[in-house]
Amino acid sequence: MELNITVRLARHPAREGRRFSEFAVTLEERMTVLDALFRVQRGMDSSVGFRCACRVGMCGTCAVLINRVPRLACSTPVKGLGSDVVTIEPLPGYPVIKDVAVSLAPFFDQWRRALPAFRPKDRDAPALARIPRDSPFGRLAGPKRDCITCGACHAACSITGTNAAYLGPAAINKALLRLLDPRDAASGDRLKILDSQTSGVWRCHTQFNCTAVCPRGINLTESIGQVKRALLRPRKAFQA
Amino acid sequence: MKASIGDLARKYRWQFSGMVAWAIQRVTGLLLLFYLLLHVHTVSKLGEGPVAFNEAIATFRSPFFKLLEIALLGTVVLHALNGIRITLVDLGVGVGQQRHLFWVLTLGIGLLVFLAGAIPMFLFGVLKG
Amino acid sequence: MARNAVHWYLQRITGALLLVLLSAHFWVVHFMTAPVRRGELTYEIVVARVSNPVWQVIDISFLLVALYHGLSGLRGIVFDYGPFGKWAVGSINFALTLVGIAWAWWGIAAFRHL
Repeated sequence: MELNITVRLARHPAREGRRFSEFAVTLEERMTVLDALFRVQRGMDSSVGFRCACRVGMCGTCAVLINRVPRLACSTPVKGLGSDVVTIEPLPGYPVIKDVAVSLAPFFDQWRRALPAFRPKDRDAPALARIPRDSPFGRLAGPKRDCITCGACHAACSITGTNAAYLGPAAINKALLRLLDPRDAASGDRLKILDSQTSGVWRCHTQFNCTAVCPRGINLTESIGQVKRALLRPRKAFQA
Repeated sequence: MKASIGDLARKYRWQFSGMVAWAIQRVTGLLLLFYLLLHVHTVSKLGEGPVAFNEAIATFRSPFFKLLEIALLGTVVLHALNGIRITLVDLGVGVGQQRHLFWVLTLGIGLLVFLAGAIPMFLFGVLKG
Repeated sequence: MARNAVHWYLQRITGALLLVLLSAHFWVVHFMTAPVRRGELTYEIVVARVSNPVWQVIDISFLLVALYHGLSGLRGIVFDYGPFGKWAVGSINFALTLVGIAWAWWGIAAFRHL
């Protein structure tokens, strides 16, 4: 017996006054939400707009709202959703380009504000600085390096939704990585930005939405907490 | 980019305990500020003399207000314990178990403390009055 | 310590103080003497207590701590609805400080007429 699922896809602009288009898709073995979207696009409506690239959970391109939760479409098995209706909407808080494809401009605007680029202390060092995995920096940074800039955390946070200036979890996590790096020289500048009352870490209220939706399992709230603790300490230089 | 109302409605999801905790903190905080306003207003009646003050106080003896007092206790308990939980998370304590911190500390212990106060208040305040 | 870290500390410190002051206040107003245990809270009983300058200091301190914690929390809520430039932040700080001073004045005024 063939099982059908209903894919409800948000359309932008709306089609014939209806925000959602519905498609009946045959449920296949190990089908992901991205697989279902391809079934729709290839066999039912070639005008549907969605994004993907690597299809294996490494690039972050296919992040969308699936049954109200930001997720990577390529890494979300349909069976695991526990429902035979799969509602796919664009990530909230970003301008929609078409259907469920959004512009991540707001995300990267904040990303850039947190000074993500590495500023070496010693520009003339002849040898490469090696960071062994079991060094202090290697151990602290390990779990935080996996960010694929999918934008899910920024979309899930309710503060970024009401405050366009808030840096957001990903930008703060990236800043933390640079702050932890013993080779980096821009701690002072970054800490000043992170300390902002209106747009820095103090806007985080530990909702944990970001941590809940991060497809790489980064504890972003903990990252933000690390920066908070650095700002709370009496010392001027950053210490993890 | 400012989110639209629809976006905001989608964002205020109640699936995550951290989100519920945040909402509770905000709502209880505002309620307590409002209560402070009422309280200062009543105490300021002291300056208007015994009749005015005693009249104002008398309205608070009704069972309805006694019930509100119990609700006030609940509001304070929730806000205080959740505040402790937030501080612990900020300090890096129990970040891996934040869901447990919420359910056990804020709601669990909160319920115990609330009942410890509410039951006597109910028996002697609401039922007797 | 970063410039804005002080607000984090003050909110926790006033919060902890409030827990202590609130418990003490609740005990004083509802359990300390026999009349209040019976539920009598009349003008005479209240005035008898707050005529004592020690109680005045305690009660006023309680009010000021509560006002700081509450209005600082309100400021946090406002900042969640940004973005706010320097001028806006200054205005918000000023407005909330004014509200705080007016509110404290109103609260303290009751004691001055006794």
